[in-house]
Amino acid sequence: MTNCIEISGLCKSYGDFALEDVNLTLPGGSILGLIGENGAGKTTTIKCILNLVRRDAGTITLMGYDNLTQERQAKAEVGVVLDECFFHDTLRPRDIHTILSRVYSDWDRALYQSYLSKFQLPEGKFIKEFSRGMKMKLSLAAALAHHPKLLILDEATAGLDPVVRDEILDEFLGFIQDEDHSILISSHITSDLEKVADYITYLHQGKVVLSAAKDVLQDQYGRVGCTAQQLSAVDPADLVRVRKGSYGCEALVSDRAAFHKKYPQLMVEPISLEDIMLLIGKGEPL
Amino acid sequence: MTGLIAKDFLVMRKSIRTYILFLIFYSIMAALGIFPVSIVTTLVQLIIMMMPLSTFSYDELARWDRYAFSLPLGRRAVVGARYLFALLLSLFAALFGLVSCLVLAVFFHDPNLVENCLTVTVSLALGLLYCDILLPLTYKLGPERARPYFYLVIFLPIILLFGAFKLGLLNNLVFLLKLPDAVVIPFLLLLPLLPLAGMGVSFLIACRILEGKEF
Repeated sequence: MTNCIEISGLCKSYGDFALEDVNLTLPGGSILGLIGENGAGKTTTIKCILNLVRRDAGTITLMGYDNLTQERQAKAEVGVVLDECFFHDTLRPRDIHTILSRVYSDWDRALYQSYLSKFQLPEGKFIKEFSRGMKMKLSLAAALAHHPKLLILDEATAGLDPVVRDEILDEFLGFIQDEDHSILISSHITSDLEKVADYITYLHQGKVVLSAAKDVLQDQYGRVGCTAQQLSAVDPADLVRVRKGSYGCEALVSDRAAFHKKYPQLMVEPISLEDIMLLIGKGEPL
Repeated sequence: MTGLIAKDFLVMRKSIRTYILFLIFYSIMAALGIFPVSIVTTLVQLIIMMMPLSTFSYDELARWDRYAFSLPLGRRAVVGARYLFALLLSLFAALFGLVSCLVLAVFFHDPNLVENCLTVTVSLALGLLYCDILLPLTYKLGPERARPYFYLVIFLPIILLFGAFKLGLLNNLVFLLKLPDAVVIPFLLLLPLLPLAGMGVSFLIACRILEGKEF
């Protein structure tokens, strides 16, 4: 089966910031969560995928189509929800149908209307009267109504209340029930990704520092809490990152069962995505 | 591409409605003989040509470009849609002007039908010329930074012509007034074809500008 996204050796430099050799694969029927601190390169990666910026090196294919030489074919099967609603305040949901039905050959009016109805979005109301949650739901309805195979979401759930976020996450899970469908979602809200993502890729200062199946991260990665003296007795090769504080140390390990077997005197516990981010982002190799 | 043209019309529909009412009001004033219809036909081009430039401001406000360029259209289609929107508006303005001239001639016995129609074609030519200059400029500079140039492009030729007239520099051109109608009328009727051809060049320049832009 063709991967929905394949990125190989992606580089993009802005002078003071650079994406360096980013490799990423998103198989069909799955959700990949792109995490990283502000300015880590998540949005730049998405912009490169959508050909909104010129990359310096690398190749990107979407559903097997090169995103530069076969841009239209590639984008025809992509639905995009960016970090804000890009529809003008003076438009109404029914106007979005008028516009996008002329853009996408596979636009499905009935499907769009069913999403509007499901999300309780009045067709004739001006977008300026919508709340942020309603605007994001409208963006999602517009992104889904042409039967895309790939959804690209850049901080799409940021600033939304938990109820709306949950509703949207349910849609994502429904979308990938079809094995040809995939979602790339960049988000700071790691709890959302813990709920829905199959794979996690962590970008740090423009580089992929971690890329693994979410289950692997949850089942195998662990956090060790110990004193500096205890830490000094650990083989550095067994630790991914270490953070030293005035009250003790904490470390990230990539195989907590193996670590526990080797160091039974040290407490190693499961770790959340957020703590992985913190340890990799703020920690250092031993 | 038609989706993007539809978008521009939908975004501008309130302004278009207001301008149409405004123009109907001025046409009635012209029909009543309060001022010449040539003012209305020129005014309509001036108002209409501002609209494509306003769409840039609305797009910037909504940050629409980033979304538009993520659609399966390509950058040329996005630029092409804006040019077609400008062209359709200019043609609508010319049609409105011609209809006003005809109504005045038929129902109000205005004797200057030919002269009025020539004002419409010259206004159309100027409207298209302004689009040829201002659209690539707006793509290059953005709507805010291009705004002063908009006024410059409109008012500089007027000021220069007025200055040249005052200084007597136009006296050498009096021979133009002696040209026969058989030459002048076809020339003025076909004048819009020049900026229309220029629109192709302008479009290519705008595409080139946009190729280098990042969103």
